Order: sequence, then structure tokens, then C-alpha cells
Amino acid sequence: MKFFHQFFEGRLWSLVRKEIAQILRNKQLIVLLIIPPTLQLLVYGFALNPDVRYLKLGIVDYAQTADSRELVSAFTDNQIFIPQQFLFSEKALATQVETGALTAGVVIPPEFSRRLANAENTDIQILVDGVDANTAGIASGYLAQMVQQYALNRLGTTQALPIKTEVTFLYNPGLSSSWFFVPGVMGLVLTLIGTIVSSITVVREKDTGTLEQLLMTPAAEWEILLSKIVPLFVLLMGDVMLALTLGRVIFNLPFRGSFLLFMGLSGLYVFVGISVGILLATVCQSQQQVVLTTFFINLPMVQLSGAIAPIETMPPFFQSLSWFNPLRHYIAIVRGILLKGVGLEALWGNALMLGAFVVVLFAVSTNRFRKQLS
Amino acid sequence: VNGILKRILSQCIKELAQFRRDRLTLALAFLLPVMSLFIFGFAIRLEAKDIPLMVQDFDRSVLSRSYQDRLYATHQFQPVPWADIASPQQALDRGLAKAVVIVPPEFSRHIKADKPIEVQVLVDGTDANNARVIKNSIKATTNAFMQAEKLTPDTSLITPRTRIWFNPGRKEALYIVPGTFAVVLWIFPSLLAAIAMVREKEKGTILQVYASSMSAGELILGKALAYLTVALAMAVGVIGLGIIIFGLRFAGDPTPFLIGTPLYLAASVMFGLLIGVRVNEQNAAVQAVALVGFLTALLLSGFIYPLSNIPFPLSLLSNLIPARYYIVITRDAFVRGVGWAGVWWAPIAIVSIGMVFFLVARKVLSRMQVSS
Repeated sequence: MKFFHQFFEGRLWSLVRKEIAQILRNKQLIVLLIIPPTLQLLVYGFALNPDVRYLKLGIVDYAQTADSRELVSAFTDNQIFIPQQFLFSEKALATQVETGALTAGVVIPPEFSRRLANAENTDIQILVDGVDANTAGIASGYLAQMVQQYALNRLGTTQALPIKTEVTFLYNPGLSSSWFFVPGVMGLVLTLIGTIVSSITVVREKDTGTLEQLLMTPAAEWEILLSKIVPLFVLLMGDVMLALTLGRVIFNLPFRGSFLLFMGLSGLYVFVGISVGILLATVCQSQQQVVLTTFFINLPMVQLSGAIAPIETMPPFFQSLSWFNPLRHYIAIVRGILLKGVGLEALWGNALMLGAFVVVLFAVSTNRFRKQLS
Repeated sequence: VNGILKRILSQCIKELAQFRRDRLTLALAFLLPVMSLFIFGFAIRLEAKDIPLMVQDFDRSVLSRSYQDRLYATHQFQPVPWADIASPQQALDRGLAKAVVIVPPEFSRHIKADKPIEVQVLVDGTDANNARVIKNSIKATTNAFMQAEKLTPDTSLITPRTRIWFNPGRKEALYIVPGTFAVVLWIFPSLLAAIAMVREKEKGTILQVYASSMSAGELILGKALAYLTVALAMAVGVIGLGIIIFGLRFAGDPTPFLIGTPLYLAASVMFGLLIGVRVNEQNAAVQAVALVGFLTALLLSGFIYPLSNIPFPLSLLSNLIPARYYIVITRDAFVRGVGWAGVWWAPIAIVSIGMVFFLVARKVLSRMQVSS
């Protein structure tokens, strides 16, 4: 009790109270803590969607027989392709694919049924718009599978295929893409907001010259620094909760792991954000410079973190570079805890890296801050 | 008319002189766009190569081994040795593999006896896109294996001859880099223009303009002209480097691209000026451009995934995003190559949206003007 009494009467507490009052008075800062994270989570979560379905398929059926119609319905009896047009010439189909009006086109030759009846080989032409390389790959794979399935049915193989592959998607059985992006955006939001808010609050005292006044008071350097960090930490942890709530309520994100571990490691990451922010504030002279410089740091940090494009798809050089990106480790942790439900036994590597970043960045930034004070 | 032009021009020259003096914004104008081009162009890829795949082979027969070899022969998978773990799921839990194929002990016995057999495949579904790619690939390889081992009737009777147009090798750079031009050339010109406009307000020099005979439209056009010049230089640098480094070439008539680019840059500058007249602080301006401009150009433009995948209310919004139309132009110029017939509507849309930005900005600004 004596300790608490001393604390609340003490210098540190009054400094903290001053910081909290300053932050609460700054409407812009409060808006910054709530609006951008919410917007970003919603737009990323809804707009980034790699689903391959409802692709526009054009069909030229020169054969016009029962067989060919059966093949056509094999192509279109699913949610992947919707028959956009039944055209009458290959040329018209080609123009449509060329301008991008159709994603894929199928041409069934006139002799289709005759050749099948005579057990001769038949070719089916498939055109795919390859501008979107990713969708084109998946779509042409589906089309080939459908043709093969049709051929098998046609040959009247009543018996099942000898090998049946039973694919199970772990962690995300519905393959809902927002489950991948939302944990990434949680990390992204914390990085952007954490660095900006912390650098602005520090640099503002420099701007207005009140930092010198603070130095005149009997408060020690570490007290000044701590009083700046504590309220920021609390506010940013509020952002963690905000992001988590949005993810749970709007995107139905699972939470399979330990809540305590999640909050603990999120706390570590918030420290990374604050340290980077303080570091920037000590390098820059004014608020404008700070805001512009955060651009230089955040852009590569976010893009090389696996928040949007998965790490595994990057070229090897960028993959190794991303090891030195704290955000990469935090996102791996969030995805691990939320989706996979794993604990430290699987995430210790990422947690260790995150811890190392906190120690190094925090030491460097506080050291610079103290040097500037004295 | 002469007077108007003169005022616009002198405003433009003053702006350019100011721009040259500020080191940080200069770096922002040239260093950051090039850096973004490299990062987006090199690091954003959607389809995974060398996916770590683990095969748990309970059968250990010649047949099961040849099935395993065929899976690895696709060059899409990278073999991961069976580690000392309790269950296949642990391999995915720890991120050792992205997929595990479990070959049951009775694999070859059942096949030889003409009995169907089930092969279990566990796929890490975290990344939905690549989960789909992995599933397709394993199914296709299994089918090819059955055909090769003559386990299924010959389906080569009907052969799909697939041609992937424009980009037969499905090089993802051809998809990403033209889109990167649109994202980069949207964010940075608008950011510079917004900062310039707000700075005038912060320093109070805008009061002199309000009191002078210069109209709001002239002020905006003068600044727009200055930053359009800067943006054109930026565009030449970014697009030139992009063409050289990623080996792009014009696929057809380049005129839609050559005409569309300045129009797009002008729309971007106008967007920045509009933000600049609406907010009063540089921080707020940067935040607004970063949030609104960056988010929409990146996510609602069809840069990463097809536009048709954006769900309903957001899909309406994406119609108002100039980057969406410019991406149509750049992808046509470097990949599709159809020319005006395919993209004539895109420059019109860009100009219309740019005009709206200008008119709104002028209206907001002229409200503050001292009436003479």
C-alpha cells in the first residue's frame, strides 16, 4: 500500500497524467487511433479476395450434338465458370478474350461426336486470358480437370478411380481469404499507427520547445521517457483489442490459441512500434519530417512482411531480407495463434526474433533520446 | 486570357522554385517512387513456387515411391524429409511443410487388386489462394500418375489444347509491374501536391493569394501545372526503370498509354490539391493521402486480385478510382496490346474524375477568397 501511495503522489505519476491529458486533448490523435485502423481492416479484409469463381466463359459449339452439350454443361455446372455467351465463330470468341470481355473460351470442333463415336482422338481448344497470371493458372487447371472428368464419364468407367485424393484444408476449411489478410492487416495497422503516434507525441515537444521546460523540472530522464511510453502503450494495446474485435465480429476470425500469449507478444510488438517512432523523432526536427520519414520506413516494412503477398511467393533474396523485419514475425505469430492455435512450441523462433528487436531498438532509441535531452 | 495564363505560369514557376529547395520532398519525389517500384515489382508475387511438401509413405513399395517421385517432379513442390514428429498435422503447425500427402500402407496392394484407395492430403489453408493452387496441382499430378501407370482408361481421347494468351509463360511480373506503375504514380504526385497546398496555408502565404486578384481556379491550375511537370519527370524515371529492369515491351499501339499517362498524372495532382484545400495541417494531408489514396489505389483498382472479386458496396466505390482505369491502359500497353479499341473509355473516365476533383477543389478554395 505504501508503494502505491508513493507512486500516486510521485513525480512519475504526475508526468504520466500530463501525457494522458495531452493526448486526450488532441482530438486528431484520438481520431488517428480509431478511424484509420478500422477503415484499413475493413477495406483490406473485404477487397482482397483471391477467389477464382464466376469467371466469364465463352463457348463456341460447332458440333451441336448431345455429346457436346453434355461437355458444355460439365464446364458450366459449377460456380467457377458462368457461361457468358454462346458464340458462333471462333473469331468472335478470340476477339472477346482479347479485349478481356471473357476470361476463357472453349471451342468444340464440328466433328466432335463423330470422332468420339469412332474412338478417334479429338482436340478441344481452350483460350485463357493470361493477363492475370494467377487466375489464368488456376482456371486452366480447372478446365483440364473438367475435360478429363468428362472423358472418364464418357468412357463409361462405372468403377471409381483407383486413387482418390481426399484433400483437407487445415486451419481454414472454407478457404476464406479474409482469415489470411486480417491478421496481416492487424500487424500493418499497429506498425503504421504505432510509429506515427509515438513519433508525433515526442517530436511535438521539440516543436513547441516544451521539452526544455520538462528538463528544467527535477524529473529524471528515465521518468520523462517512461511517462511518454506508458500512455502510448496503453492506447496502442487498445488498438490491438479494437483490431481483434473487428476481426472476430465482422470477419468471423477464429481464435484458437492462448489469449494471454497473444496479448503478451502483441505487447512486445507495440514496443517495437514505439521504439521505431521515438528513433524517428530523435532523427527528425519537425512533425512534417517525421510524417514523411515514416513513409520511407513503413512502405518496405509492410510490403516485405507477408501481410498482403505471402512470404513464400517472394524471390529468395526478399525472403531472407524479411527475416530482419519485425512485422514479418509478428504476423506469423498472429496467424499462428489465431488460425492454427499453436503456442510457443511452434512460434518460439518468431517470438525470440521479436524480443531481440525490442531490446535493440529500445536501447538505441532511448539512448538517442537521452543524449538529446542532455 | 493573357493575364490568366501569365498568372498561372508565374504561380507554376514559383512553386517549382520552392520545390527544388526542399531536400526531403525532393527525395520523396524521386527516391521513394523508385524504391516502391522495386519492392512492389520484385516482392509481390501471388503463386508460390517450391512449396514444401511432405510425403508420409506407409506403403514403401515401388509404386508408392514412383508416386512420390512424380509429385516432386512437378517442380512446384520441394521435398521435405519426414521429420521426427508425432503427427502429420504437426508438420503444418510448425510450418515445416505447407502440405502433407499420406500414402496408406495398403496403397500398392489395393491398386494391384483393382480396389480403390484413398490418399489423404492435408493442406495448410491459411493462404487461401495457394491452398487452391496446391490442391489443383496434387490432383492433376495424381491423375497424370494414374494415366502413366495405366490405372485408368486412356482419356487422351479428348485432349484439351489450352493456349494462355498474352502471357503464355504466366510470368507474374507482367501482371504486377504495369499495375505498380498505377499505384506509384497515384500516391506520390498527389502526396507532393497536397503537401504544397497545405504548406501555403500553414505559412499563411495563402492569405496574400486570397487578397490578390488571382482566382481560386488560377491558383489551383498554377500549382497543378508545376506538380504535373514534376510528376512527368517521376513517371519517365519510374516507367523507364520498370521497362528496363523487368524487361517489359510495348505489346501494341503505345499511343493510349502515352496519352493516358499525363492525364492520369494530372488527375493524381488534382486529387492531392483537393486534399490540400480540405485539410489544414501537413500531417493531416499526408495521413489523408496515405489512407485514402494509397488504400484505394492498392486495393480497389484490381492491382492484386481481379476487380470482379470486390464485394458489393465496395465495388461501386472502385468505379471512382482512377487507378482502376489506368491499370487497364498499362496492362493493355505492355501485355494485351489491343490498343484504342479495347481501352478508349479509360482515358475518358480518368479525365472526368480529374475534372470533378478540380471543380470541387476550386469551389472549396473560392469560398475562402475575399470577394472583390
